[in-house]
Amino acid sequence: MRIGSTKLPISGLGTYTVIYLAFIYLPVLFLPLFSFNDAIYVAFPLKGFTFQWYEKMADSQGLLTAFENSVKVGIAVSIISTIFGTLAAKAFTRYNIPFNRPIKGFIAVPLVIPLIILGISLMVVLNRAGIELSLFTIALGHVVICVPFSMLVMMSRLEGFDKGLEEAAQDLGETPWMTFWRVTFPLAMPGIVASLLLCFTISFDEFLLAFFLAGDQATLPVYIWSQLRFPNKLPSVLALGSCILVASAVIVILAELVRRLGVQAPKEGQ
Amino acid sequence: MSDSSFISIQRVAKHFGPVKAVDDVSFDIARGEFFSLLGPSGCGKTTLMRMIAGFEEATYGDIHIDGQPMGRIPPHKRPVNMVFQNYAIFPHLTVRQNIAFGLRKDKLPKPELDSRVDEALEMIKLAGYGDRGATQLSGGQRQRVALARALIKKPKVLLLDEPLGALDKKLREQMQLELRALQKSVGITFIFVTHDQEEAMTMSDRIAVMSEGKALEIDGPATLYEKPKTRFVADFLGSMNFFDGTVKSAEGGVAVVTTNQVGEITIRNSDHQPAVGEKVVVAVRPENVLVSGEQPDSVANAVKGKVNAAAFLGDRSHIYVSVEGSDEPVLTLMQNLGGAASRMGGEQHDVWLHWSDDAALLLPK
Repeated sequence: MRIGSTKLPISGLGTYTVIYLAFIYLPVLFLPLFSFNDAIYVAFPLKGFTFQWYEKMADSQGLLTAFENSVKVGIAVSIISTIFGTLAAKAFTRYNIPFNRPIKGFIAVPLVIPLIILGISLMVVLNRAGIELSLFTIALGHVVICVPFSMLVMMSRLEGFDKGLEEAAQDLGETPWMTFWRVTFPLAMPGIVASLLLCFTISFDEFLLAFFLAGDQATLPVYIWSQLRFPNKLPSVLALGSCILVASAVIVILAELVRRLGVQAPKEGQ
Repeated sequence: MSDSSFISIQRVAKHFGPVKAVDDVSFDIARGEFFSLLGPSGCGKTTLMRMIAGFEEATYGDIHIDGQPMGRIPPHKRPVNMVFQNYAIFPHLTVRQNIAFGLRKDKLPKPELDSRVDEALEMIKLAGYGDRGATQLSGGQRQRVALARALIKKPKVLLLDEPLGALDKKLREQMQLELRALQKSVGITFIFVTHDQEEAMTMSDRIAVMSEGKALEIDGPATLYEKPKTRFVADFLGSMNFFDGTVKSAEGGVAVVTTNQVGEITIRNSDHQPAVGEKVVVAVRPENVLVSGEQPDSVANAVKGKVNAAAFLGDRSHIYVSVEGSDEPVLTLMQNLGGAASRMGGEQHDVWLHWSDDAALLLPK
């Protein structure tokens, strides 16, 4: 009977796991389901199979432009944030900076400030400064919230490898700058890839800052929000959502494969 | 600059806040010498080495290499290369790329570069391993790659930071001999940092014994072992029995010391010239203390005791003998010739310890 009594909590955990996973993923799976449904309203029973929403999506100029804007902003934000994040991480992990704890705290503050506050205050400041709201200002806002993420990812990566490797490179005659390129950068590569993906994802689906900082060019979340007023546009949004779902799954799987490759077989560095 | 002061350390100190990691150290190292910095962890040996490499800046003092003041010269411009404690092999490069790492600036034509790397691989007996990933190597192989990577730069000085610490005993002893042979053949000055006194004695021409940031004594291994001038060095190198006492008489090179533990000890030919009444420490190496069952005739120093414990080490035994008046047992070393250990009496067996008058050392307290 002792076997039975140890089994019970496991099956309890099993039930919990199933409910948990269903709660997270079932709603997401409705997205592709209804994107093929031949009806404007998102409701059961399903009416029939159709590709029309995908066709409409491809025809909708506004949606495609918004998508393009989001990708542009996302790429710029991920690169800029990762550069800043990497530099900050290198400074904190490799040098003895005075007041490094408060400085680290200041960089991380955007993680805990409500985005709505950040969005409004950035909008006010930019308006006062006479800077016109545009994709550029959205990217600016996104960099503010992405740098702390990037810094944390890069710090854990840089702390993970032996400081002696950088000293060895300098000992062998390389300047600090070349040491960075020949040793630090290749070894930090998996972290850099992770940071780029993370920042892109954060920027791509960020709504509040984009909403306040957008001029006449909307990013995808802002565009989708504006379209929700028109019920007949909803299915196209579902179609787009499904495409993004598949694309991001592919990207994440690819990134993980690249990361494992980097761990197992050290690549040629020259 | 002469050959005997190829490397010159002049009043060098390194303070970390209130801690004096290296405390006003001065000495010279000769060209082609195998020089060891020996001491317990925290004695400042690694900090001193890192100052020679340029990774730490001295709080004050000067380091000259081959007549050149090192001052603020950064690590990548110093004529010095280093073998790091955990080897610091670049994990993203192959063995060949690791070894060639430091040659990029020389802009050698490819055939010459290849032949120099091949030569280096040959030297460390890893020919054929060139295209392996650096992470696929064993500890001993990594150690060799680190050595080749540093030596291919033809440095004036090679620094080695406890490079054998991570290897198992057999491999370590083999590498000690190989390193020594290699150093003789390339003729480069080696500075070797270790906390292992046997390792330092096996390989070095000279050793600086360091403690609490100071270089206490600098000399050849035999001199340091046989004629230490300080209690710390006497204790750190090998094993030693110490007896505290007061000088009773000192005439014609023969001193008699009254000790609390073993009565009077006669010492001949001491370097330290004691004054009568001076508080001193008498030191006797365990291998100089002989054990016998009966009271020996006509020896300078003899004391009666009981066997407290015996540690059998195969080729020799450590025998701890309690002596009346002494808290710590006296350690003696017995070679296990013809099974002497098994003929030795058991615990609580009465024995006599004795040693000649030139076997003991007189050290200032």
